[in-house]
Amino acid sequence: MEEKLNCFEARQEFRAFWRKELTSEDRAILVSHLAECAKCDRAFREFALSAPALHSAEEPPLRSPAERPAMRDSHSRRPAAVVRSRFAPRRGLAMSAAAMVLLAASLAAYFSVTTPIDTLNDELSAEPPATQLFGPDLNFSSEDLAG
Amino acid sequence: MLGLAASRKTAWRLAVRTDEELIAEILNGETATFSELATRHRPRVERLCQRFFSDPETARDLAQEAFIRAYTALATYRREMPFGSWLRAIVTNLCYDELRRRRRRPEELVADFTAPEVQWMNLVNEATPEEIVAAAEERREAHDLANRLLDSLRAEDRTVLILKDSEELNVSEIAEIMGWSEAKVKIRAFRARQALRKQSEALRSAAKRSHR
Repeated sequence: MEEKLNCFEARQEFRAFWRKELTSEDRAILVSHLAECAKCDRAFREFALSAPALHSAEEPPLRSPAERPAMRDSHSRRPAAVVRSRFAPRRGLAMSAAAMVLLAASLAAYFSVTTPIDTLNDELSAEPPATQLFGPDLNFSSEDLAG
Repeated sequence: MLGLAASRKTAWRLAVRTDEELIAEILNGETATFSELATRHRPRVERLCQRFFSDPETARDLAQEAFIRAYTALATYRREMPFGSWLRAIVTNLCYDELRRRRRRPEELVADFTAPEVQWMNLVNEATPEEIVAAAEERREAHDLANRLLDSLRAEDRTVLILKDSEELNVSEIAEIMGWSEAKVKIRAFRARQALRKQSEALRSAAKRSHR
């Protein structure tokens, strides 16, 4: 008499079945259960959609050269709205932030370069203040000071 | 003759050195030995990174970063835990942080499929279980679609699924790696399966609609 699995046991075997770790006998028992149980069959098909990423021991196969243009085409066929909804808001924000940073950096560079030179030029060209009292050309005699 | 025997003996000694012996050597200043340790663990580390990120370049970069972190923190490694498990915790946390940094959101699963992806989904809907398993190995689109499905999960959910299903860790091991409570791990595992089931059903329905 053939051994039978209950649903819980059957679902516990999905991973081993996917990894081909079951004996041919155990595989046959599981397949037989899946053929009889619609719920487990559906659960296995759902499992199969994520299993390549979670349970495959091997590297995913490389795309064949024939497939590559098709993949590019398929991406280029994506609706523009979908692409925008994924990336556009963040890209716009990043562009604005970059522009602000660039502007701030330019202003900072402008002031840091021009201000000291202007100040120096002003200082060199400026005449001595008219109220200067103790300049080098002024000689005070003791009489002036006393008077 | 003696030289050959000596070199064979050295080769044998090098071949059987344990992780702990290599680590002791590295900590004693033989830093070049780390490359031997890294070579030994690289396939597993890269495989784990690929469970988180299907892009091979991202996976390789993260694996590299994980080894740098492991090297930097090697002095803190304790023998109570196998080095592989310690390294796995580093890799997992690194990948988890990167997943969160990228802030993938569930609504990003876009229902636009390539022609090979639709063919694969139809096969999943209609073929026998054994045909599905055999076909998955040869189909790149099966991996692409599976990764898109996982991309639609929250970072916590994807991490728990990977650790539980791929790495076959139990709840307490996952809790220890992630620094979460066991209750949180259980809740996240439940929610992850629920979300995955929902997304898989949506995919299968979409494939059926496009098949008509």
